[in-house]
Amino acid sequence: MLTKKSTVGTGVGRRLRSSAARLVGQTMDRRGFLKRSGLGVGAGAIASQLPYNFIGAAEAADAPVAAGAGDTVVRRTVCTHCSVGCAVDAVVKNGVWVRQEPVFDSPINLGAHCAKGASVREHGHGEHRLKYPMKLVDGKYQKISWEEAIEEVGDRLLKIREESGPDAVYWIGSSKHNNEQAYLLRKFVSFWGTNNTDHQARICHSTTVAGVANTWGYGAMTNSYNDMQNAKAMLFIGSNAAEAHPVSLLHILHAKENGAKMIVVDPRFTRTAAKAHQYIRIRSGTDVPFLFGLLYHIFQNGWEDRKYVEDRVFGMEAIREEVLAKWTPDMVEEACGVPEDQMLLAARTMAENRPSTIVWCMGQTQHTIGNAMVRASCILQLALGNIGKAGGGANIFRGHDNVQGATDVGPNPDSLPGYYGLATGSWKHWSNVWGVDYEWVKGRYASQELMEKSGITVSRWIDGVLEDKELIDQPGGKLRAVVYWGHAPNSQTRGAEMVEAMKALDTLVVIDPYPSATASMAAMVRKDGVYLLPAATQFETVGSATASNRSLQWREKVIEPLFESKPDHTIMYAFAKKFGWGEELVKNIKLEKDGHGWDEPNIEDILREINRGTWTIGYSGQSPERLKLHMKNMHTFDVKTLKAQGGPCDGEYFGLPWPCFGTPEMKHPGTPNLYDTSKHVMDGGGNFRANFGVERDGVSLLAGDGSASMGADLQMGYPEFDHLLLKKLGWWGELTDAEKAAAEGKNWKTDPSGGIIRVAMVNHGCHPFGNAKARAVVWNFPDAIPQHREPIYSPRPDMVAKYPTHDDKMKFWRLPTLYKSLQEKVKDISKEYPLVMTSGRLVEYEGGGEETRSNPWLAELQQEMFAEVNPKDANDAGFRNGDYIWVESPTKARLKVRAQVTQRVAPGTVFLPFHFSGWWQGEDMLKFYPEGAAPIVRGEAVNTATTYGYDAVTMMQETKTTLCRVSKA
Amino acid sequence: MSMPVSKRIVTAAFAAALVGGLGACGEKSQVAVYEQGTYQGKADTAAWDGPAFKGDRAAWEAALKNRARGQNEYNRTE
Amino acid sequence: MGRMKFLCDAERCIECNGCVTACKNEHEVPWGVNRRRVVTMNDGVPGERSISVACMHCSDAPCMAVCPTDCFYKTEDGVVLHDKDQCIGCGYCFFACPFGAPQFPNGPSAFGARGKMDKCTFCAGGPEETGSEAEYEKYGSNRLAEGKLPLCAEMCSTKALLAGDASVVADIFRERVLRRGGGAEAWGWQTAYGGGEQRRERKQDREGQK
Repeated sequence: MLTKKSTVGTGVGRRLRSSAARLVGQTMDRRGFLKRSGLGVGAGAIASQLPYNFIGAAEAADAPVAAGAGDTVVRRTVCTHCSVGCAVDAVVKNGVWVRQEPVFDSPINLGAHCAKGASVREHGHGEHRLKYPMKLVDGKYQKISWEEAIEEVGDRLLKIREESGPDAVYWIGSSKHNNEQAYLLRKFVSFWGTNNTDHQARICHSTTVAGVANTWGYGAMTNSYNDMQNAKAMLFIGSNAAEAHPVSLLHILHAKENGAKMIVVDPRFTRTAAKAHQYIRIRSGTDVPFLFGLLYHIFQNGWEDRKYVEDRVFGMEAIREEVLAKWTPDMVEEACGVPEDQMLLAARTMAENRPSTIVWCMGQTQHTIGNAMVRASCILQLALGNIGKAGGGANIFRGHDNVQGATDVGPNPDSLPGYYGLATGSWKHWSNVWGVDYEWVKGRYASQELMEKSGITVSRWIDGVLEDKELIDQPGGKLRAVVYWGHAPNSQTRGAEMVEAMKALDTLVVIDPYPSATASMAAMVRKDGVYLLPAATQFETVGSATASNRSLQWREKVIEPLFESKPDHTIMYAFAKKFGWGEELVKNIKLEKDGHGWDEPNIEDILREINRGTWTIGYSGQSPERLKLHMKNMHTFDVKTLKAQGGPCDGEYFGLPWPCFGTPEMKHPGTPNLYDTSKHVMDGGGNFRANFGVERDGVSLLAGDGSASMGADLQMGYPEFDHLLLKKLGWWGELTDAEKAAAEGKNWKTDPSGGIIRVAMVNHGCHPFGNAKARAVVWNFPDAIPQHREPIYSPRPDMVAKYPTHDDKMKFWRLPTLYKSLQEKVKDISKEYPLVMTSGRLVEYEGGGEETRSNPWLAELQQEMFAEVNPKDANDAGFRNGDYIWVESPTKARLKVRAQVTQRVAPGTVFLPFHFSGWWQGEDMLKFYPEGAAPIVRGEAVNTATTYGYDAVTMMQETKTTLCRVSKA
Repeated sequence: MSMPVSKRIVTAAFAAALVGGLGACGEKSQVAVYEQGTYQGKADTAAWDGPAFKGDRAAWEAALKNRARGQNEYNRTE
Repeated sequence: MGRMKFLCDAERCIECNGCVTACKNEHEVPWGVNRRRVVTMNDGVPGERSISVACMHCSDAPCMAVCPTDCFYKTEDGVVLHDKDQCIGCGYCFFACPFGAPQFPNGPSAFGARGKMDKCTFCAGGPEETGSEAEYEKYGSNRLAEGKLPLCAEMCSTKALLAGDASVVADIFRERVLRRGGGAEAWGWQTAYGGGEQRRERKQDREGQK
């Protein structure tokens, strides 16, 4: 009972640890440091009690941290493991990170941490990191110098560009880059001349971003973790917050303690479910029937907010007809297995305890119909009138620490920073911000058409290599090189095919502090052509990160990069120089020499450039100075509202949650809850966005009278602001002459002066993006009204007949994409593979897991990959708890894992955590790792066995519902 | 390492009691008889006597009390 | 002020193991030695509850009573500590402890080969000069002497684990219990602090500690 999932003898671990200790190299662990310096903890401890301001002043001298004996400083940073954004005080002595202290002042985490957050100091040891650049020579990784690495990789990529065009190289960026690096990478790939770039958001919340933005304007969490303290009911569907976002439970359990009702809907009885008032087990992949099943009871009982729907929602009547006709209790029970009384209870709880909020995560997004599921969630909240209300909202918990930021301003295949898209006007806007000639940028691309065409997604890069050349919708044909720049390979599905794609590549480059999963997979199938470059962690550089609630936090540099690693932006500039456009990349950005004589682009200058260009989503007001001020005055912010009461940030919301409109000088306070009409726009208020025209089928899309934000001069629906509207309203004269010159012919998104925004907001209390209705019907999506469609690999042939998937698509994000043809082909495969295979998170690990499995404090807690299997299925298959079993999927890939026999999953469902890698179908891959860079814990990657299936809007991969069978190994 | 004779007897008695308890599983639990020994190790200083507080116990208690407030989020949410 | 205690609120503990890694981090506790761990009951079924467990620094600590070398002492503020130089690694304290707190670096080896006992110090160091290297090497850091509380509690993700003066901890807990109108069981408090009664027979709590 006291044991963890795997209580293995400690022998293995200890052996690993001591072998790792030999490889420490330049670094020093704390013990070693203490010994050598002859200092105890006392000195550091006293310094850690210095007031933050004092320490801030001390470091303003800007001396390298390593300098000056006895120099103890506290650096304020933010945990890099999830999107909650927990602040960390790092105590640094003589350049060594010696202690980690809780930041009680942080309004987000109040000092609290989960296992990952409480162990981030281990990054200062980094024993299992890649220490120096390496390349694969005859199947073994060999050390090379940085200069060689840049030259060789650069030459290979330039040759490919020469021969096959810029689109033959695929750039996978990272949600673990800070905002500035993520933004610089999008600029970087633009100058390389391709849109073939992506990052983790594709496989995390792309369906959310698309679905939610198309419903009401912005594709982000509407409220905040903190605001959940105001909720009276909370519905979690496809979110295991207790493991994936543990510190959010601080606010959630606080709300529960004060009377909020908690409902958890999941195929698995999660640790979050253990805290719920009502747990509902649904069949994996049936979120639409469930959510519409709730709406059935809401409409039946007249619980919808009629006034709200009338004024602020388009298309609810069509939804109502659909729901009442199609999702009667018997149909709901048939589809998702939940009886009527449970549905009614949940609907009543949400209706009678308003404001009520909904939380969803990957359990909802990672499906072939993820876009429809997330919209069904939005529609539920719109019907209840919960969006734009404190305590309500759609609290969409993002994954990585900066996945929100990388989505907002980073390397996306379908958009320039700030969701500007790829239209000609967008390119002109950004070329102007970058200070480069539009024609020059265009010349970098193979053609204007390709410049404005969305690239291949990270979920499908393998098909960009393996697909028939003629079927790939780009003139250059196949991808020949892939750069993995801060992204795990084992987080993408169809791993068995991925190694084939890796094999077929000309060049594979991995830039990462822990590149080892990709490195080992590649070395398993290749002899050469693989390069590994050690990147610095976020504790070894500065910059901002956007938490899930849209707050930006500034990280100070804790320590200098360990070993030979370099910050990502330094590496970007080095490659840009090699490619011949270094100067263009940093036109507005200062360069500084690092300790090794390399040029490092100034992060603050990059943020200022983001500020100058990103008007659309209000990344324009968060100057480095304002963000730093917030970090120093955390204690002045209220925990429930995130608003500063007095002090230097008086009236502002913590981290200036975007949208923080206008210039920094306009002093917009940030937006704590989106679309909240109860507040003035200059106090973070708002309304739904006018982004879909002003009329549809003869019905106005603008909001009803009286539903504008508080104090707005226009108390009705209105379109977005541009120079014409300003003139029509007679407000043009309120612009300064300089603003007039800049704003002429522009709209609020492209006016480089910010004048249109200033006049609309400050002078007239109006929202620059207009005031419209949210859309319950999204006519530009494949299913305008969300439809249930069975996953491609469904356990229920009868349901496939009733709810078939989409038709195949020939050209979709540059690739042919299968739906119905494949579903038909595998319709009866559940006879051979009868169990649902699903995956999820463990609290101890993050993402692909190489980083966290390299941290001994975490690795000790989860030492083996496992599968949760119901006792019935285990008995049927003839194995017991703790046995090794084979989990085999329809791809024939087999995973050898420990059986965890538990009621946590229902009969017919097998759950596997997705953070493992380093075993391949029963074999330990240790010999394929670069020496000394293998993580402590290795195991089968669930995605080695996952199957085909992609969302029909965003190319999100299906990971949550596929099939498998199990047997004793 | 020397051990006082009386102590040895007590621990042996305790060990016997423990074994007996195991053997008589299901019977009324037996409570071991022991007596408190006297600390034989090095002397330690009190927390407030360290370099940070230099014997100022009141200041130490105040610091700890303040620190304990960090464990109660109601201080920040009311 | 006087008495240091731990309290774990089962209504809030989510088994995130933040307390476990905070302890590892603060004291550089080696692999295989766990001064603190999280215990889950009814794993995976309704009624699932978790508790963070370490040395509770009992009022009438059985470890102190059974130690053949009398290496234990109790500080003025109620923290149970021991002198590793005096410890012979016999393991009696482990058998006596109702919480399975004592740890041995070499695991369950034969008598004398276990190594010197290691356990939670309430982040109060041990009998060496406060803040010295010797204290840190043997016992870990001494946060209490810095005016700070145990890091496990300070970093707890949901503030389920509380540490500090008994009256302050009890006040925090009482407010929560009042708010939620239930969930008042402070796990282990009766055993650790209640009326001097020791309940050494609770061997089931020690399962899996090998």
